[in-house]
Amino acid sequence: MIEFNDVSKLYETDGETIHALDHVSMSIEKGEFVGVTGSSGSGKSTMMHIMGCLDAVTSGVYLLEGQPIENYSENELAEIRNRKIGFIFQNFNLLNRMTIEENVELPLIYRGVRSAERRRLVGEALGQVGLSDRRKHTPNSVSGGQQQRAAIARAIVTDPALILADEPTGNLDSRTGTDIMTLFSELNAAGRTIVLITHDAGVAAQTHRIVRLADGHIEEDSKETKNGAAIF
Amino acid sequence: MALQSFKIAWKAIAANKMRSFLTMLGIIIGVLALVVLVSLVTSATSAVTDSIESMGNDMLTVAVLDDKGNPIKLKDMDDIAGDESIALTTPILQLNGTAKVGNETYDVSVEGTNSAYFSIEGSELAAGRFLKTADLDNVSHVAVVSYEAAEDAFGIDSAAGARDVVGQTALLNGRKFLVVGVLAEDESIMAAMMSSNAVYIPFTTAERMSDSGSGISQFYAAAKDSESVDRAEQALTEALTSRFRGDEDAFRILNQNTLADTMSDVTNIFALLLGGIAAISLLVGGIGIMNIMLVSVTERTREIGIRKAIGARRAGIMLQFIIEALVICLIGCTIGVAASGGIVTLVSAAMPDMTFSLSGGVIVVAVLFSTAIGLLFGLYPARKAAGMNPIDALRYE
Repeated sequence: MIEFNDVSKLYETDGETIHALDHVSMSIEKGEFVGVTGSSGSGKSTMMHIMGCLDAVTSGVYLLEGQPIENYSENELAEIRNRKIGFIFQNFNLLNRMTIEENVELPLIYRGVRSAERRRLVGEALGQVGLSDRRKHTPNSVSGGQQQRAAIARAIVTDPALILADEPTGNLDSRTGTDIMTLFSELNAAGRTIVLITHDAGVAAQTHRIVRLADGHIEEDSKETKNGAAIF
Repeated sequence: MALQSFKIAWKAIAANKMRSFLTMLGIIIGVLALVVLVSLVTSATSAVTDSIESMGNDMLTVAVLDDKGNPIKLKDMDDIAGDESIALTTPILQLNGTAKVGNETYDVSVEGTNSAYFSIEGSELAAGRFLKTADLDNVSHVAVVSYEAAEDAFGIDSAAGARDVVGQTALLNGRKFLVVGVLAEDESIMAAMMSSNAVYIPFTTAERMSDSGSGISQFYAAAKDSESVDRAEQALTEALTSRFRGDEDAFRILNQNTLADTMSDVTNIFALLLGGIAAISLLVGGIGIMNIMLVSVTERTREIGIRKAIGARRAGIMLQFIIEALVICLIGCTIGVAASGGIVTLVSAAMPDMTFSLSGGVIVVAVLFSTAIGLLFGLYPARKAAGMNPIDALRYE
């Protein structure tokens, strides 16, 4: 489903080369619920950008659903993001001028889905995250937890192969955070592949597999240890 | 996709009403200046040219500059204007004069002429009669006065008052004249511009009052219809050339059409000049739009990042911002045209002598120009937005 083959990512800053990812290899199967964790600067954001086709690798191969993501044009990458990936961000990243319904509809518009079909899919997605009664509200007028639910609805409305969540509970209080994690578990139970990036060990522990990064390397991958939970 | 972009653009404009309006103001003022100025000049032009044409675009004015000691007499006119393309001729002898009514004197322009003059000019009577052939034969001291002159000298204020003027007497350059007719008021723009305090007397009478000797030194000729003007001009040229022994510089023929053409040439240059200045202000408005669009792109960096992350293509983002600039321009243009309509109506109301109307051509130009400005000045900000790196855009605070 997802495969990193000896992936490296270098950044040049002020003449200094930074190895954000240093020869990383790993794979994630369909239906997995993976937590990527690590301290700041460990390379987890870079990993997410590459997984999300927002950034290209410097060397090595990244395969999404068996397709190597390289040498794609900007527009092709946009299309892959639209069809295969659902993003969820720490600060929700909803467009405040639009209603929740319109926010959820947006990826379908960019995909060119017809209006009637869009309405049906948006209704389904909002139903799954339990936000049907808030569809006409703007993001500013609902709680943080509801905003994140809206963002999740936007991520799943296109039925993507991969859901990428970047610190999804970072801006939420612990109770709402737990609710959101429960929602992720439900989505995963329904067969969705989820990669969740977090620095919070407690949140990571609620996933089924933990990949810990440090200095651009995979320091530990619970899939390769006998007891994943024992790492923490 | 375009419909969606339009909706998105509309939301962005509506979200910042004050700023959108101020941005539009540049376009509104530019369109207003363009449409109003050009409309006013065009309306004035057509009023003036209409008025020149109503004086008869089939009319020729002939001035004799040098009669070679052989002045044209009234009886010679039939020979000179014998061509069938010429319907009527009338001699004109202009004298500067004063009219004395009671104890007051007035400056008037005294025109010595004959009955044909009124047919050529298309004059109408308010009261009395025109000049007659008998008046010329008898060298009578009778006068037909223009409505304006009757207003000034006899203080009339209506056509009914004109009847009382007929039968009164006035002293023209010291000679006593009987008023036999008053012309109807001429409401054309040319008459208003030339304020004709004219008094018409028999040509023969004027000839005797003139210091410059006898003979016709100026006459009007009316062609049979507007198509035969050129032929009439040629016929007159030939007749006069032979009379003045081949000297073409002895006389001059002025074609009314040429006058109208010159007039519209001049006003067209005016329209172009004013339109050009207005177009520059539209251009300045366009630069204002680009400026605000650039601010807007920076402000919405994060939004652009989000849109790109969920799959917006370059073209999608570009379209969104270009349509936004275009919508601002076209709303501004619409408001500008509507306001122009209001201003032109006000000007028309303030100047009842003239009719001003919006010129359709300049509205089309304004709409096309605004569209071009929206595209041109929206393009750079839109490219900037579309070229953003989604990762940086998402990180932008």
